[in-house]
Amino acid sequence: MRPTQGGTLGVLSGWITRLRDSPVPFLLPALAINVAIILIPGLLTIAMAFFEWDGASTPSFVGLDNFRTIFADPVFFSALFNNIKWTVIFLTIPIAMGLGAGSLLLVAKRGRTFFQVVYFLPVIIATVVVARVWQGMIYNPESGIVGWLKLYGINLADPLTHPPTALYAVASVDLWHWWGFLAVIFFAAFRQVDAAQIEAAVIDGASFFQLLRYVLIPAIRPTITLMMIMTIIWSFLAFDFVYVLTQGGPAYASEVLSTLSYRYAFYNYTMGPAAAVALVISFFGLIATFFYVRIQQREGNQ
Amino acid sequence: MQERICEISADEQELVPAKMKTMKTMKTDRQESRGEGLLLKNLGLTVRVSVLTAAATLSTIARADGPITLWYQRGGNPDQQRIMQKDLVEPFNAAHPTTPLTLDVLAGGSGDKKIRMAVISGKGPDIVMTPGPSTTLALVQSDHLLPLDEYIKKYNLDKRILTPVLRTGEYHGHNYALPRTFETMVLYYNKTLFDKNGWAPPKTMAELNTIAEALVAKGITPFSVGNGDWRAANEWHVSVILNHYAGPENIYKALKGEMPWTDPVFAQAIDVLKDWYQKGWFGKNYFSLTGDQQALLLAKGEAGMAPNGTFSFDNMVAAFKQTGQELGVASFPSLREGVPYPLYSIGTGSTMSINKNSANPDAAAAFLDYLYSDDFYDRISKDWPGDWNLPLTSIDEAKLTKNVSPIFAKTFTAFSNAVAQGNYGYTTWTFWPPATEDYLIHGIEQVWLGQISTADYLKKMQEIFAKELADGKVPPPAPR
Repeated sequence: MRPTQGGTLGVLSGWITRLRDSPVPFLLPALAINVAIILIPGLLTIAMAFFEWDGASTPSFVGLDNFRTIFADPVFFSALFNNIKWTVIFLTIPIAMGLGAGSLLLVAKRGRTFFQVVYFLPVIIATVVVARVWQGMIYNPESGIVGWLKLYGINLADPLTHPPTALYAVASVDLWHWWGFLAVIFFAAFRQVDAAQIEAAVIDGASFFQLLRYVLIPAIRPTITLMMIMTIIWSFLAFDFVYVLTQGGPAYASEVLSTLSYRYAFYNYTMGPAAAVALVISFFGLIATFFYVRIQQREGNQ
Repeated sequence: MQERICEISADEQELVPAKMKTMKTMKTDRQESRGEGLLLKNLGLTVRVSVLTAAATLSTIARADGPITLWYQRGGNPDQQRIMQKDLVEPFNAAHPTTPLTLDVLAGGSGDKKIRMAVISGKGPDIVMTPGPSTTLALVQSDHLLPLDEYIKKYNLDKRILTPVLRTGEYHGHNYALPRTFETMVLYYNKTLFDKNGWAPPKTMAELNTIAEALVAKGITPFSVGNGDWRAANEWHVSVILNHYAGPENIYKALKGEMPWTDPVFAQAIDVLKDWYQKGWFGKNYFSLTGDQQALLLAKGEAGMAPNGTFSFDNMVAAFKQTGQELGVASFPSLREGVPYPLYSIGTGSTMSINKNSANPDAAAAFLDYLYSDDFYDRISKDWPGDWNLPLTSIDEAKLTKNVSPIFAKTFTAFSNAVAQGNYGYTTWTFWPPATEDYLIHGIEQVWLGQISTADYLKKMQEIFAKELADGKVPPPAPR
């Protein structure tokens, strides 16, 4: 039907045409989901950081009291420091292992698929299964390898149960579960490097490490940068392995910010400090995201 | 129809305040319409009839037939789920075909949180199961649970449930929660090992020290304990030391806010616990050992004793069956002069309430009537001893022995008798408010590992407790 100028039908038809030509209908589904499950809960969490609420009664506004509470809690700072340690560990060891294994996969053509599967396998095993295997079958002094070694006179302690080693023991399990993912990602990135560049370097007599240092790593720098930024964000969100293996213990030795927030919320029923800790976690995520966006912009300009 | 509404307003004044509000509105409408003209009067009549119809429909809904729901909060393997169907659901449904019970079994770790969220959002099951009085208290304070006083009277539940335990569900003079799991801390010991060495279960600190030192000299761990699979197991030991060293009278005063947790008697108690840990009485692998492993070490005679809850009975019996040695159970010794022996601390591992938004609270109450019956208790204690251990006044050794092992029967009868006689203490997971309990669990690890002093530990506990006491979050302690 041809729209009549000035009529209701015409206005409606005009709206439909404008809507059809605009990007809004394409944005709406994702926008609705993001608003419902990210923006609203996010805003509620920000608001909750300024309220006192036990999860059941009416929330009451307390200003900055929740932040005072968490800053007065020494466990908050030890948890924050643990997150920083966790970030340093995951920015170095698995990335180095991933780069090493990825480049080896590039060089060694035989058995490449097999090793990719082997490296990637721990990534697809459920977190709880991995954690329970390490806890019960490796670290446990009665039923695990640690217990078995005791039969041969090798007395090792369960590293999860000693404050100086607990965080590293948990990080080792997560690291075992995680590094294969990086190896496969880096290998995929290495394969995009121009073969002529690699060939030229080899003809020029470059050793394996020189090839890695001067050709491969510079070529995949954007991928490495992305993975490092994501590692920082993920490190501040670390929760699952800590929760299953130690629940932050012993004596808060492996407590991280997310387990602390969980404890405030679901054990103490103090939603305010829990939200305040969650905001601190988000703050570090935001810093990482800011740097990521800046790097992206710089590379886009280049 | 009107009679029905009047009946509700008279009988259920306390139970259905929401409905009462409707009735009050209705009466106001009626009073106002009296002085009006004919037209207005007719209009008033019409409105009144509409309101009456709506209220009657509401009351019909409230009393309607239809399924009632229970979400079992503590998880259950397939066998346990079958037992619940057979012993709990089927007999109730056979007797109440128009209001059958639908049972959903939620995952153990998160079930309580799901129930809490559902109830807070105005939904959830008709029968609300919580992991203990402190969770119940939050739901009562936020007005999500129905007072049970009328139903307790109607079904004589106050005569059927042990009074001190029943009263843990009281808040501002009304009862909102019935205790479901009745548990306590006991001293399990390897009877074979004790008999071989001519030892009797210790009754005093001196006797405990003698046996523990003898065990250490033989290379045997005095206490088979650990928190490898349940970190909150720390509080079992804090509960034991506070009750059996500081004593229930002092705990009662502290819970009422009449005595600080920093009092020397509590400090001495925590020092004793710290000393046990640091002397190696808890073994080398406290933070690794799971419940099964602890039971097995005791059953093998690699450890001599185990302070543990009655909820671990199944584990202990299974482990001793495996090794062929004999299990012994006793009350934990009195650790300070003046603290009575035997003494059993009351633990309520879970409670049962009725959702304020239940469409059928009468049927939910009828279910509670069945739950606290001898008929159900006989069935469940035969099939699943321990978890459904209800605090019934009718428990006696002879009756229990028909269904369960003599040692289980003897322990529970002793526990029930002690509680009935007022000889009871307080478990931390039942009577402590949530944040204090959480700190008590985690902070004691710092004390054991020498990171903080006993004084620092109790000082912080007192600070957290004082705030929760002021906020009304401390569950009512069983009276003395």
